[in-house]
Amino acid sequence: MSTGTGVLAGTSAVARRELSSYFRQPAGWIVIALMMFLMGVVFALVVLVPGRPASMRAFFEASGWLLLPVAPAISMRLLAEELRSGTIEHLCTSPISTPALILGKYAGAVLFLVAMLAPTVVLPFILWVLSDPHPDFGPVLAGYLCLVLLGSLYIAVGLLASASTTNATLAFLVTLFAILGLLLVGGVAQVSWLPAWARDACEGLSTRWRVADFAKGVIDTTHAIYFLTLSALLLTLSGSVLHLRRSL
Amino acid sequence: MVVVTDIHKSFGQVYAVRGVSFELAPGQIAGLLGHNGAGKTTTIRMIAGYLTPDVGRVSVAGFDTVTNRQAALAKLGYLPEANPLYPEMGVPEYLHFRARLFGVERAKRHEAVERAIERCWLKEMRGRRIATLSKGYKQRVGLAAALLHEPPVLLLDEPTNGLDPTQIHETRGLIKELAADRTVLVSSHILPEIERVCDRVIIFAGGKVGADGSPTDLARGIGVHAGRGNIGSVYTMEARSHEQSDARAASFENALRANSGVSSFDPAAALPDGWTRWTIHATAAARDMREELAAAAAKHSLVVRELRSERASLEKVFMTVLERAGDLP
Repeated sequence: MSTGTGVLAGTSAVARRELSSYFRQPAGWIVIALMMFLMGVVFALVVLVPGRPASMRAFFEASGWLLLPVAPAISMRLLAEELRSGTIEHLCTSPISTPALILGKYAGAVLFLVAMLAPTVVLPFILWVLSDPHPDFGPVLAGYLCLVLLGSLYIAVGLLASASTTNATLAFLVTLFAILGLLLVGGVAQVSWLPAWARDACEGLSTRWRVADFAKGVIDTTHAIYFLTLSALLLTLSGSVLHLRRSL
Repeated sequence: MVVVTDIHKSFGQVYAVRGVSFELAPGQIAGLLGHNGAGKTTTIRMIAGYLTPDVGRVSVAGFDTVTNRQAALAKLGYLPEANPLYPEMGVPEYLHFRARLFGVERAKRHEAVERAIERCWLKEMRGRRIATLSKGYKQRVGLAAALLHEPPVLLLDEPTNGLDPTQIHETRGLIKELAADRTVLVSSHILPEIERVCDRVIIFAGGKVGADGSPTDLARGIGVHAGRGNIGSVYTMEARSHEQSDARAASFENALRANSGVSSFDPAAALPDGWTRWTIHATAAARDMREELAAAAAKHSLVVRELRSERASLEKVFMTVLERAGDLP
C-alpha cells in the first residue's frame, strides 16, 4: 500500500481543483472578461496610435498596473476560504505534505493568471498585421514573461495573506497594500538622508524598475532570480503559517 | 491498529484533552461517547493528524502520526464533524479530487469512485452540485470520500449529526457493514446510537476517559473509572410480613445497610394491596445477590412474592461517569 501521496501527485491534485474552481464560478469568468476588456482598451489607446513606432511597451507597463487589483482578487480565497469553511481539515488530514499543498494552491492560481493573459496574445498579432515595419517579437515575449513573473509574485504575497486570515476581503486588502508597498519602496531609495545600505535595500526590493527593464525587452536573469526567490520565500512563509495554525 | 498513548491538548488556558490512552484492535468498532466539550472531537482530530498533541503520541497501523505523518494518514479515512465540502463541485468530481489527494492510482480511480458512489447510495446524485444536496446526501458524500482509498481505519466524528431518523438508520447500517473488515472509531453524544453500533464504548468526561469497555462489561461496572461504586445491578423486591409489622421491615433494612454488596436502597414503598416494594442498588461487584436477599428476607420473617434483578443500563453508567468526572485521577 502507498505510504502517502507524492509531492508531484499531491501538488497536481490541489492545483487541478483550484484551477477548475475558478472556472466553476462566475467570478472567474468575469475577471477574465474584465481583464481582456481593459487590456484591449489599453491596447487601442496607447499602442494603436498612428505614426508611432510599433511597440507593445506602453501596453505591458499599463497591464502591470492592471495586475494590482486583479492578482489579489485571484489569491484572496486560496486558503482563507478553506480556513473559513473548514475544508482545510480535509487537506491537512490527507497524506500530502504541506509543501505540496502550498505549491498546488500557488500553481492553480498562477495557471489561472496565465489563462487570463492567454487570450490577449491576439493583440500583438493585430499590431503585426496593422503595422509596417512589423514590431519585434523579442520585447513582446519579455513583456509577457514579466507579466507572469510579476503576477506570480503578487499571488505569492496574496497566498501568504490568505493563509493568515479566514477573511478573504481582508486578505485582498492586505495583499493590495503589500504589493503597493513593493512598488513604492523604490521611492524610498531616493530619500537622500538615508544611509546608503538602506537605500540599496529599498532599491533592490522594488519591482518597478525591473518591470521597466522587461518592458524595454531586456530579459535580465537577476530580475528573474529576484521574482523567483521572493516568491519562494513567500510560499515557504505561507507553509509555516499554515503549519503554525494547525499546531496551535 | 490505533494506539493512543497519554495524549494532552490545550487551547490557551482551556484543557481539552488531559491524558487519554486507548488502543483499538483490528476489526473493532468503538464508540466515543461524551457530552459536547468532553474532548471527543479534539481526540479524533489528533488521531486524524489535524491537531498535534501537546504531549503523548498516536500511531495508526504502526506509523506515528507526527514523525511518520503521511504514511499514517494514508491508512485513515476521516469524516470530520462539520463535514466541510466544496459547494461548487459536482459529486463525482469531488470524489475524483479526493481520490487523487489520497494517491489512488489513475487506473483504479474511476472504479474507486464508482464503488463509493454505489456504497453510499449516491447514484441519483451524480449530476448534482454539492451545494444543491440535502444534509443527508452531503453526509453520504463525506462518507464516500472517506472510503475511496479503502482505509483500514475509519474515524467518523458525529456521522449522524443532523440526519433524519431514516437516514440515521441507513447510516448506522452502513457503518456496521463497513466495520466488517475495518477498525472504526465513531463519536457521538447520542447514547443509543453508540449502544447499537459499537462493540466497545469509551466514555469521555472532562477531557479524560471515564469508562472504557464493552457495553455488557460497563453495565457491570467493569472498566468504569469514575463513580464505579454507583454502578451495579438493581434489585426489586416485593414482600410483606404476616403480622403486618413495621419492625420486621426495619430490621430487614438494617440488614441491607450492613451488607457490603448493597450500595443504597430507595425507601420502602407501600403498595396499595398491602405489600411493600424495595428497590436495592448493588455495588459494582458482579455477583448475583438474589439468593442472599431472599435469605435475608426469610430471616426477618418476610414473605417474598417477587424478586428480580436488572443490570445497570449504559445510560446509567454514562450519567454516573459524567456526574463523577471530577473523581477521575
